[in-house]
Amino acid sequence: MSSYLQLSGVNKTFGNFTALGHIDLEIEKGEFVTFLGPSGSGKTTTLMVIAGFEDATRGEITVDGQSLSHLAPQERNIGIVFQNYALFPHKTAAENVYFPLQMRKVGKKAGLKKAEEMLELVGLSGFAHRLPKELSGGQQQRVALARALVFEPDLLLLDEPLGALDKNLREQMQIEIKRIQKRLGVTTIFVTHDQTEAMSMSDRIVVFSDGAIEQADAPLEIYHRPATRFVADFIGESNLLPATITDAGTRRATSPVLGDVTFGAEGCPQVSDGQTVDLLIRPEHLKLSRDPKEGRQNAQMQIETIVNYGDNAVVIGHASDQQIRVRVPGADVVILKEGDTCHFSWTEDAVFVLTE
Amino acid sequence: MNTFIRWIGIAVVAFIAAPLLIVVPMSFSTAASLQFPPPGWGWQYYQAYFSDPSWLRPTWNSVFIAAMNTLLTMALVVPATFALVRHKFWGKSAANLMMMMPMAVPHIVMAIGYYSYFGELKLVHSKLGVILAHTCLSVPITFLVLSANLKGFDRTLERAARSLGATPRQVFLHITLPILRPGLLISALFAFIQSFDETVVAIFISGRNAETLPRKMFDSIREEADPVIAVISTLLFAIVFAGLIAPSVIKLIRRMTAKTAQQR
Repeated sequence: MSSYLQLSGVNKTFGNFTALGHIDLEIEKGEFVTFLGPSGSGKTTTLMVIAGFEDATRGEITVDGQSLSHLAPQERNIGIVFQNYALFPHKTAAENVYFPLQMRKVGKKAGLKKAEEMLELVGLSGFAHRLPKELSGGQQQRVALARALVFEPDLLLLDEPLGALDKNLREQMQIEIKRIQKRLGVTTIFVTHDQTEAMSMSDRIVVFSDGAIEQADAPLEIYHRPATRFVADFIGESNLLPATITDAGTRRATSPVLGDVTFGAEGCPQVSDGQTVDLLIRPEHLKLSRDPKEGRQNAQMQIETIVNYGDNAVVIGHASDQQIRVRVPGADVVILKEGDTCHFSWTEDAVFVLTE
Repeated sequence: MNTFIRWIGIAVVAFIAAPLLIVVPMSFSTAASLQFPPPGWGWQYYQAYFSDPSWLRPTWNSVFIAAMNTLLTMALVVPATFALVRHKFWGKSAANLMMMMPMAVPHIVMAIGYYSYFGELKLVHSKLGVILAHTCLSVPITFLVLSANLKGFDRTLERAARSLGATPRQVFLHITLPILRPGLLISALFAFIQSFDETVVAIFISGRNAETLPRKMFDSIREEADPVIAVISTLLFAIVFAGLIAPSVIKLIRRMTAKTAQQR
């Protein structure tokens, strides 16, 4: 039993430059998958290869068992929402949405009716006869979404569609896109470099770096059990501290910063005595106190900067030349001063070992 | 300082507009030749223009030549612009340079070249000869306008159309062409005006059979200074002026009808 969308060994080179190394990925029908990564990591290239605008140098893509290799972009039945929306400026909202139906030989009357129903679904009834330039960014976004969905595509691809919107509108559109996607049940790939967007919307996140997939997992899995240093660093805030395994059996390691540490058992990769690893502790899993805390593992640091966000704050300090970030509740900040020396503490479950 | 600049501005405008202020009154003159200020006022030279075949024939020649020139120029320049703007190929910068060449070479040099070369080909004194020569002269300006338009064209629109099910041909017909239409119209207009206005080459090669309006005007001013020249200048100015204010007038009318529609 194979997956709905399947990428096997997809490779893309431009001259000497390898844009995609060797991409293997399976996506289930109806899944909402986010491609996350810094710019140039290969996420958009992968999307363009799926859409047919770039040919894969090697490898194959199948949808529902059918190979896409020999299909031109217009034959693939894939809806795409582009970063700048790419609405046709000379057509009204309804005509834009009608366009894919027109190309599929749907009559004007029936087609425009369906286009207006689709505009209604995305919350734009009453705007059908406006030109794109007469619509706000958020409204243009909705038209682009309606246009990409009206012909019931096998796949919906969204290429950083929320990049141009301001923060409030962005959150609103995240919820909206998710709602429409669920309602229509269309298999969706969403490309972004914004990790909060990826976290809040996806069934699964695929993290890209340097033309390769670092990890493909559910959002919380990615956050709590990153497979590589890159993922740990890229997703959320992290303290990555070099350490050496002293006793793999009792899960003990020693780190110049933390001293002797016991690390968590869950999700821990295979390690051996003497191996050098990185220990990951998320800032929100550290606690600050004047004196060492009973029942927790402790170390000392000097506070350097306090960044206040109101409801919480990030305290940045130094412990033997290593920067330590601690996220504390906003109310606790008042007792802390820059320049103070204090203890930070953690439990073994908060310590996660990274070998790659 | 501000007022000083304003006065300079007014002086420049006056200097540019002065020929019009002289030519328009002269067209309504009763004098036997071009004379300013006119001794009396009348329509007689307008009647003369519209009834004299020796004026009407060059007018139609000019319109026909300019129209054919526009068609030929567009047929050559549109594909060339797409190739030069969108594709990389060997010899591209040389091709670009060739497109712009007629703009750099003085018209008189081109005219002498056409005179001898077209003489060999038996194209002197023929409309075809003038059309071909004018097409060469129209290419650079048309190419400049069109390539600026095409460079500003967002190709994501074409990708979007492809993803929505359009073949490359459908993309061109439904998306690229309609969006580029204003640019195409303007470049065609430039080609038309370029030909309609061109005098030097026309003097050299148009002869009696293909005599264009500027050539006829030039001959006339040398021989008799016929005030019909002022009439033609005034008419041309009126056409251009109408063309210039037409968009604003249409907009105004639309706004007024929209307002009355709202009031209802």
